[in-house]
Amino acid sequence: MIECRAQKEAKITCLMPLPQYLRLMDTMARMSLRADAARYYFGYLWWLLEPLLYVAVFYVVFDLILDSRRADFLVFLMCGKLAFIWFSKSVNQASNSMVANKGLIGRINVTKTLFPMAVIQEGLYRQVAVFALLLVFLLTSGYSASWTWICLVPVILVNYLMIVACSFVGACLVCLMRDFSMIITLAMTFLLFTSGVFWDVRDLGDPQKSELVMAVNPLAFMLDAYRQILMHASAPDWLHLGLIAIGSVVLMALMVWYIRRYSQFLALKVLS
Amino acid sequence: MSADHEAVMLALDDVSLSYHSGREQFDHGSHHVLDRVSLEVYEGETLGIIGRNGVGKSTLLRLMSGILAPTSGKVYQRSGKSCALLTLGLGFRPDLSGRNNARLAAMLQGASEEEAQSHLEDIKAFSELGDSFEEPVKTYSSGMRARLGFTTALKTHVDILLIDEVLSVGDAQFRQKAAQAMRKRIKSDQTVVFVSHMEAQIRRICSRAIYLDAGRIVAEGEPREVMRVYRHSMGDAMPPKNRGR
Repeated sequence: MIECRAQKEAKITCLMPLPQYLRLMDTMARMSLRADAARYYFGYLWWLLEPLLYVAVFYVVFDLILDSRRADFLVFLMCGKLAFIWFSKSVNQASNSMVANKGLIGRINVTKTLFPMAVIQEGLYRQVAVFALLLVFLLTSGYSASWTWICLVPVILVNYLMIVACSFVGACLVCLMRDFSMIITLAMTFLLFTSGVFWDVRDLGDPQKSELVMAVNPLAFMLDAYRQILMHASAPDWLHLGLIAIGSVVLMALMVWYIRRYSQFLALKVLS
Repeated sequence: MSADHEAVMLALDDVSLSYHSGREQFDHGSHHVLDRVSLEVYEGETLGIIGRNGVGKSTLLRLMSGILAPTSGKVYQRSGKSCALLTLGLGFRPDLSGRNNARLAAMLQGASEEEAQSHLEDIKAFSELGDSFEEPVKTYSSGMRARLGFTTALKTHVDILLIDEVLSVGDAQFRQKAAQAMRKRIKSDQTVVFVSHMEAQIRRICSRAIYLDAGRIVAEGEPREVMRVYRHSMGDAMPPKNRGR
């Protein structure tokens, strides 16, 4: 015993090399997409059908019934709603991912961030198809491609960072108390109404109020940024975008530290 | 204890584990799973842990593999040695084929994508699943799932194997084949911690045994002697055929 301990016992770690982590995350995401597609008659078509049906419902309610008084309402709605669905669905599912993988967490000592990341990656793959459809729709609706569309790349990247940061927070909260799963779903509904999905954050009458909404709610700024780029060929406010990126990265780093530091505690919470 | 063994691979020093369940229950919602357990696992040995269901055997393996941390006490693992907990049905997704599930399970156990890929044909052959290997796992019988689970687990190569009841499922013919494969692995100087509630398995496979009850070690030593204590504490209430299983 003394001989063994003299060799300095290794702290039992669950870290894996980054390339293996990324491959595993990608494999889990692709297999999940395949399993989902196999479950439904329309298979992979649901990647596009689901967001389009959401858009259709909102279009009927807010344009055909409530008369939005915007000639470009459908495009306006698609730019906001398709990006919002990406955020809300990814954060919702990723928040429940550790608890949903209780069986695995009880059997293997694996990095816990893997579970939300696999869900986020799955959402990213779907969203690539959704964004492609959106661009095709814009081009067929009379909008012409512009160099400003390149600004979509940093906006999508920051949106992705926001999703990762919020998902890590959500996943930990749900581990600690299952009730947070309900609260997160409710929070997504709150964000749906307050982020300018079906109303224009710039049409509030008072520019200061618009600024305030976008400053307080980063998602409102992001949805507006998508519209400015795609509909008005206008670049987003880089400083604002940069601040959201920094905030997301800091939150993400803190959560990665927390999840690694308290990996076994989180496992116990998931299993108990 | 075990002076002929060379070195300790894994040690638990005065380890306790308790947790609070979400709601207030007995003892203010606090559950004591393990209570001041100390043990050592030596290089090349096969240590058997026996005890009734719910006495903390699986939790002990989770502590050894680092999945859980003790509430008090320490878990030591020899530096540079890998350790894996083998259980059945690791991460099986019912909508995925046996092949894809086996690939994912191998990767989750630490294999690279190439390594996982290279094992697939062996897994298909050993598990005797035939064409069903390409079918979704949701179409499998429980025996087929057990075969896939065991074979996938068998392919993991680590220094310390922690085995949780993997030889207790499946049909009789496959159980025999699985036990044989496991014995072959054990004979090749593999360090193994083997959990079971079946005396015969512990006696046949293990070089040392521990009897765990209510989160504490009741007996430790030569398997036959430990089994005697186990039977005695069970009040010899079990029918003879169960003892021999």
